[in-house]
Amino acid sequence: MKVKNREPAKQENNIYRPIKGTIERIKKQTSDVSLFTLELEEPVHYKAGQFFMVSVWGAGEVPISVTSLARKSTRIEFCIRRVGMVTGRIHQLKEGDNLWIRGPYGRAFPLELAKGRDVVIVAGGIGIAPLRPLIETFMKRKKYKVSLLYGSRSPDDIVYLDETRKWKQQGVNVVLTVDRPTDGWKGNVGLVTTLWHLAEVDFKKSVAFICGPEVMIRAAMQDLFFFGMPEERIITTLEAHMKCGVGKCGHCYAGKLYICKDGPVFSYKEIKEQSILNLGF
Amino acid sequence: MKREWILDKNHLSYWLRQLRNQMQLIAPMRDQVGDIVFKQVEHIHKIELNCPSLLPSVKEFFLPQYERLFEYSKKDDRVVDSISKTKRVIFGLRSCDVAALNTLDRFFIDEMPDPYYKSRRENSLLISIVCNNPDPTCFCIGLDTGPYLKQGFDIQLTDLGDRYFVQAESEWAISIIKNYHFLFSRPQKSDYDDQYEVLLSSKARFQKRISLQQSRQLIKSGRIKDSFWQGITSRCFECGGCVYQCPLCTCFTVVDRSYNDTVERARLWDSCLFKGFTRLAGGILPNEERIKRTKRWFFHKLIHYPDVLESFGCVGCGRCTVTCPGRIDMASVCMKLKSIALNGEEITDEG
Amino acid sequence: MDKILTVCPYCGCGCGLYLHVEDDRIVGVSPCINHPVNRGSLCVKGWNCYEFVHHPDRLKFPMIRKRGTLVRATWDEALDLIARRLTEIKRLYGSDSIGLLSSAKCTNEENYLMMKFARAVVGTNNIDHCARLCHSSTVGGLAAAFGSGAMTNSINEIINARVLFVIGSNTTEQHPMIAMHMLDAVDSGATLIVADPRKTQLAEFAHIHLQHRPGSDVALLMGLMNIIVTEGLVDIDFVKRRTENFDSFLDTLRTFDPAKVEAITGVKIQLLRRVARIYAMEKRSMLFYAMGITQHITGVDNVRALANLVMLTGHIGLPMSGINPLRGQNNVQGACDMGALPNVFSGYQTVTDPRARKKFQNTWRKKLNPKPGLTLMEMMDMAYVGRLKALYVMGENPLLSDPDLGHLEKAMERIDFVVVQDIFPNETMNYADVVLPAASFAEKDGTYTNTERRVQLLQRAISPPGEAKADWEIIVDLATRMGYRMHYRGTYEIMEEIALLTPSYGGILHHRLKEGFGLQWPCPTQDHPGTPYLHRKKFAKGLGTFITVDYIPPDEPPDKEYPFLLTTGRIYFHYHTGTMCRRTVVLEREEPECFVEINPEDADSLGIKNGWPVKVTSRRGSIEVKAKLTGKIPQGTVFIPFHYAEAAVNRLTNPAVDPKAKIPEYKVCAVRIEPLYKMPVVKTPKPPEVELESLRIEE
Ligand SMILES: Cc1cc2nc3c(=O)[nH]c(=O)nc-3n(C[C@H](O)[C@H](O)[C@H](O)COP(=O)(O)OP(=O)(O)OC[C@H]3O[C@@H](n4cnc5c(N)ncnc54)[C@H](O)[C@@H]3O)c2cc1C
Ligand code: SF4
Ligand code: SF4
Ligand code: SF4
Ligand code: FES
Repeated sequence: MKVKNREPAKQENNIYRPIKGTIERIKKQTSDVSLFTLELEEPVHYKAGQFFMVSVWGAGEVPISVTSLARKSTRIEFCIRRVGMVTGRIHQLKEGDNLWIRGPYGRAFPLELAKGRDVVIVAGGIGIAPLRPLIETFMKRKKYKVSLLYGSRSPDDIVYLDETRKWKQQGVNVVLTVDRPTDGWKGNVGLVTTLWHLAEVDFKKSVAFICGPEVMIRAAMQDLFFFGMPEERIITTLEAHMKCGVGKCGHCYAGKLYICKDGPVFSYKEIKEQSILNLGF
Repeated sequence: MKREWILDKNHLSYWLRQLRNQMQLIAPMRDQVGDIVFKQVEHIHKIELNCPSLLPSVKEFFLPQYERLFEYSKKDDRVVDSISKTKRVIFGLRSCDVAALNTLDRFFIDEMPDPYYKSRRENSLLISIVCNNPDPTCFCIGLDTGPYLKQGFDIQLTDLGDRYFVQAESEWAISIIKNYHFLFSRPQKSDYDDQYEVLLSSKARFQKRISLQQSRQLIKSGRIKDSFWQGITSRCFECGGCVYQCPLCTCFTVVDRSYNDTVERARLWDSCLFKGFTRLAGGILPNEERIKRTKRWFFHKLIHYPDVLESFGCVGCGRCTVTCPGRIDMASVCMKLKSIALNGEEITDEG
Repeated sequence: MDKILTVCPYCGCGCGLYLHVEDDRIVGVSPCINHPVNRGSLCVKGWNCYEFVHHPDRLKFPMIRKRGTLVRATWDEALDLIARRLTEIKRLYGSDSIGLLSSAKCTNEENYLMMKFARAVVGTNNIDHCARLCHSSTVGGLAAAFGSGAMTNSINEIINARVLFVIGSNTTEQHPMIAMHMLDAVDSGATLIVADPRKTQLAEFAHIHLQHRPGSDVALLMGLMNIIVTEGLVDIDFVKRRTENFDSFLDTLRTFDPAKVEAITGVKIQLLRRVARIYAMEKRSMLFYAMGITQHITGVDNVRALANLVMLTGHIGLPMSGINPLRGQNNVQGACDMGALPNVFSGYQTVTDPRARKKFQNTWRKKLNPKPGLTLMEMMDMAYVGRLKALYVMGENPLLSDPDLGHLEKAMERIDFVVVQDIFPNETMNYADVVLPAASFAEKDGTYTNTERRVQLLQRAISPPGEAKADWEIIVDLATRMGYRMHYRGTYEIMEEIALLTPSYGGILHHRLKEGFGLQWPCPTQDHPGTPYLHRKKFAKGLGTFITVDYIPPDEPPDKEYPFLLTTGRIYFHYHTGTMCRRTVVLEREEPECFVEINPEDADSLGIKNGWPVKVTSRRGSIEVKAKLTGKIPQGTVFIPFHYAEAAVNRLTNPAVDPKAKIPEYKVCAVRIEPLYKMPVVKTPKPPEVELESLRIEE
C-alpha cells in the first residue's frame, strides 16, 4: 500500500535518538491516568493520530499518542495510563523531571474526510487520548456536528471529565457510559456499542473515528458498517507492541503493514483488505 | 562498471594480508571441533578455504545479536550513540548472504535509514566466493541468489582450481583491486570457459529444487487450510533459531540497562515465533496460538516480502533446515506444499 | 570479534555453543554444528544465554551485613570474616554444626573443591546440593540396582532406537535437544510411548499416551511387568545370568494383576498390554524418565521399578537399549559425580568405606570424618531446632526451590552465620551475613558433565564484572585462610586431582577434552576413549539386583477440603529459580507471571475463566496466581511452575520426603482453588465474556 499522507519524521542522522523534554505540568485525570505537559528542546510538528516514542532512561520506550492540538511547537501533551513497567516509571516522575521523546510517527487522522459531514467519535477508556485533539480541531473550525460516544470502566475512570463538560458547552453531543456504575451515577450503563441511537446522526452520511480496546473497535466498526457507513469512512487507530516506531523492529507487523509507519490510523476498508491478521479482523 | 581479473591462488594470502593491515579482516576459520566460524583473522594461514557451502550467516556483522544503540550518562544528562565505523573486509561469504544483504539494504536503508546498519554496511567490503559444491540443504538455485551472482556483489571469486576468477562491481572494490594490480591479470578465453564449466557443474550438484513462487501461489489460492499449518507448527520448539539464523530476519527488541552512572539502550535479536513478541499491556497476547506465529513467519517470507520489497524473504541458504529442532523449515514446508500442488488436493499435513 | 566454544549453562543436555566476544563483552551466541547433542540447533534458553551475563544486577563486590544491611567490603575483609567465624563455630559447636550447599550450576572442579573444603577443611560431611530435590532418587535407586546412577546410553543413540518409552518427562520443554533426537527417531520409524498425566507436546507425537494418575507410577510399571511376565516376554537368559533376587521380586509382582493396576492408574488394560508388548519385544528400546518419576515420596521405588523393568526385558547394556534419567541442571550429574553429597566422595566412593577414606586422607593429608552428613532437608531441620550454626551456600537458592518455604524461612533465621556466593542477588541473600560475588559460566574455565555423562570443557570468554571471582578461586582462597593450603594454577590442575582420586574420571584431563566434544565417563585411563553406554558385559556392581517395590499412595491425596492434586515443575522459558532467565528479556516476556494450569471443566465448575486471578491453598499456605485453562492437564489435577518468587509454589508443597533418598514430594500435594475475581455488579444484563474483556483490555 502506498501511504500518502505520511510525513517522514524529521530527525537528523539517527532515527532512534530521542530529544529531551521537561515535564511542565502533571494533571491527574483518574487513579491511573495523568496528563503530562512537556516543554521540548526543539520544536516538533505533529498532528492528531500520530504518536511518539516516549522514554525514561533505564526503563524503556513506549508508544504514546499525541493528545494536544496539532501544531509545530516545543510544547506537547501526553495522556498516559499506568499499566506496566515503563508507564509505571513515567508515573513516578514529578514536574521538572525529564521525558525523552522521538517522533512523530505514523499517519495522522484524515481530517479531510470529515469535510461537509457529520462526525461520530467513539472512544473507550484511554482511547480518548488521541481523539481529544480531533474534537478540539472540529470545535475550533466550528462548522462540524460532532457526537462523542465515550465508554469507561466506571465513573471514576473517565479521562478528561472536565473537558467533556466544556465540549458539551461548545456543542458536542457527548454521550458518556460506564461498565460499572457507582452510587450516584445517573448516566448510561453498558458498552458504547449499545448506544448508537444516541449519536443523533445519519450514519450513511457521516464519518467515524474510533479508538479504544480492540474488542470495542471491532464491534463498533462492524456496527457502523452495518448501519451503512462506507468502509473507507470508518477510521480507527490500532494498538500493537512497538519497539521502534519506524518500521524496523517488526513487532507491530500485521498483514503486510507496519502499524507504526503505515498506521496506526486505518480505515475499516484497509483493515479488511490488508487482512491485518494479528488483530483478528 | 564491471571488471574481471584472474588471481593466482598463491597470491591470495599476500593480498589478504595487505587488506588486513588496512582494516579488520573477517573470514571463515575451522576450529578444533571442525566447525566453521566467521571471526576476525589474526593469522592469514588459518583461513579455511575449503569450506562447505553452508556457512554461518554474516548477518551478525551488520545487525549484531546484541548491539548498543545509545549510552546515556546520568551525570551529565547526555546521550551518545555508538555507531560502529570500523572498516572491515569480510572474506569468504557466500552468494546467498550477499543477496540477502542486498535485500536488507532496501529494508534498512531505503526508507528511514537505520544509521547503525547503514554505517556497518558502508564500511564493509564483501569478498564472496561462488559455491562450487552446494550442500544438500542449499536451494538458492531456484531463487537466483546463488551459487553465482550476476550482480550485487562487491568482489566475487570463482575457484578455478589453481586460480580465482575475480569480478568486482563497486567502486571501492575496484579501487582495492587496482591498488594491487600487480597481483591480478587479465582473464583469457580459457578462464571464461573454465568458469562457465565450474558454474555448470555446481548447478548440477544441487539436490533440492524448490520453487517459492509455487508455494506463494498455493498459499494465495486459499487452498492451504489451517489444518496444514497446525500440523507444521505442532512440532515447533519455539526456539527462535530459524529467525536468528535466517539472513533475512531482522526483528529486534530494545532494552534499557541501568548501570551505576550510565544507561545503555541496546537492541537485540527477537523472534516473531515467541508469543511475547506481540504482547500488549495487561498481558494480552494477540498471537498466543502457535499456529498464528508459524504462519506469520512463512507468510512474511513468501507473501509480504515480495509484495513490499520485490524479492522473497528467503535466499535459499538452508540454514533453517539445519537449525530447526522441529524440522520446520522453508525447504521442507515448500516441499510439503509442492506435494499438495502435485496431488491437486488439500492435504492436512500428517505431522 | 572472537568466538569461543563453550557449553550452555542451562539444562542437562549440555549443548555446545559459541559465545561471540567483542571488547570483553558477549555480543551473540551461535550453535555448534558438529556437536553430538545439539547438531546446530539450540533451544530458546541457549540462544539467549548470553544476556544475563552483563545484567546490571550482577553481584560485583563482596558484601558484609552490618547492622542489618549488606554493605560493600573488600575480599580480604569478607574472607577473613568467614574464615574466622567458621573456625570459631567449628571450635565451639563442632564441625557438624556447619552445613555446605554446593551447586549443580558450578563446574566439576568447583564442586570437587567445595566437597574437599567441607570434608578436609571444615571436617564435616554436611554437604549437599539441589540434586537432592530432583534426582537423588535416581542416584539411590539405580545405584542399588546396578551400582551406578546415570544415563546408561548416549543422546546420539536415540535416533537409531526402535522404541522410546518416556515417563514423567516433559522432554520438549525440559530437554529440548533430547526431544529433537526423539522426534527424529519417530520420523525414522521408532515407536514413541509417553506416560504422563499431562498432555505434553511430546505426547502429541506419541503413538501411545498413557495418562496415569499422578503418583501411581509404581503401580503402572508393576502392571507392565506383570503382563510381561504372564505373556512370557521376559529375557530369561539375561535375568539368569546377570541379575539376582528375581524370585522374591516375582512374588510381589504377582499381586499387581492388570485389573488392579487399571483401577489404581486409570489406564485401560488393553493399553497396558500394548505398551508391555511393544516395549518388551523390541530390542532397541530406550527408557527415559525425569522429575515426574523422582519427585515423589515413592521416588526411589519408582526408579527401582524402572530398573526392574529394564532388567526383566534385558534392555540394558547395549547401544540404544537402557534406562536414561534426564538430569535437569547443566551440571547436576557432575555435582553428584564430584561427591557434593553427604555420603560419598567423588565417584560415589562412600565415606563410610575405610579404604576410600584412606585414599582421600592420604592425598588431602587430613583426617576425615567417617560419619555420613546431613542432607539438605535435614540441615534445615537441624537449623530449625537451632543446631546448625553456619551455612555456606554456593550458587543455590534454597529459599525458592525447597518445599514448604514457611518452615525454611524460620530455619534460616535461626542459623548464626550464613554465607551466600552467587552471581545474582537472590532470596537466600536476605539471610546472608556475607555475600560473595561469583563469576558466571562465561567468565571461568572448568568442566560440566551433561546428562549423558559427557564431561565437557567450559572456556572462559570474558572477564568477570567488578571484583567477582570464579567459585573455585574463592574456595581456594578461603581454605588457605583457614589454615589448609590449596594451590592450583588453573582448573586443569584440579581436574588432575579429580582424575587421581576418582576411578570413573581417571582419564579425563582438560587437554584431552579440548580435542573434541569431551569424554563420557567411565573413562578410567588416559588412553580410554570414554564409554558411550554403560553396563555392557556386567553391571557396575556385578549382578543387577531386582528390588521389591510396592505401591504406596501419595502422602497427601486430595480430599473434600483440598480437592485438587497439585503437581509442580518447570516451564520451557524459565529455568530453576529464575535468577538467570528472568533477567533475559525474551524469556521473561514469554511468561512474566506465575500461573496455574487447570482443566477447563474444573475451571468451569469453579466459575473461573482464563486469565483470572485465583487463590491456591494447601495445608501449608496459599498463593495467588493467574488461571490458565488448558485441556493438556487432566481433570482433578493442577500444575504450577516453581520459578516465581512472588508466587512461590513451594509455600504449598509437601515436605514429606522419600524415606530413602530424602527427596521431597514436589509432584503431588492436595490444594484448594478459589477464584479471587468477583463478577462485577452491573445493572443491565450482558454476556459475561464481553464484560470481562472490556475490563481486562482497558486501553
Ligand atoms: C500507537 C500507540 C499509541 C498509544 N497511545 C497511548 C496513549 O496515548 N496513552 C497511553 O496510556 N497508552 C498508549 N498506548 C499504549 C502504551 O504504549 C502501552 O500501555 C505501554 O507500551 C505499556 O508499556 P509498559 O512498559 O508500561 O507496560 P508493560 O506491560 O510492562 O510492557 C512491556 C513491554 O511490552 C510492550 N507493550 C506492552 N503493551 C504495549 C502496548 N499496548 N503497545 C505497545 N507496546 C506495548 C512495551 O514495549 C513494553 O516495553 C499506545 C500504544 C500504541 C501502539
Ligand atoms: S528461510 Fe531458511 S533457507 Fe530461507 S533464507 Fe532464511 S534461513 Fe535461509
Ligand atoms: S527453528 Fe523450528 S522449532 Fe525453532 S522456532 Fe523456528 S520453527 Fe520453531
Ligand atoms: S537444550 Fe538445554 S543445554 Fe541445550 S540450549 Fe537448551 S537449555 Fe541449553
Ligand atoms: S514499531 Fe518497530 S516495526 Fe513498528
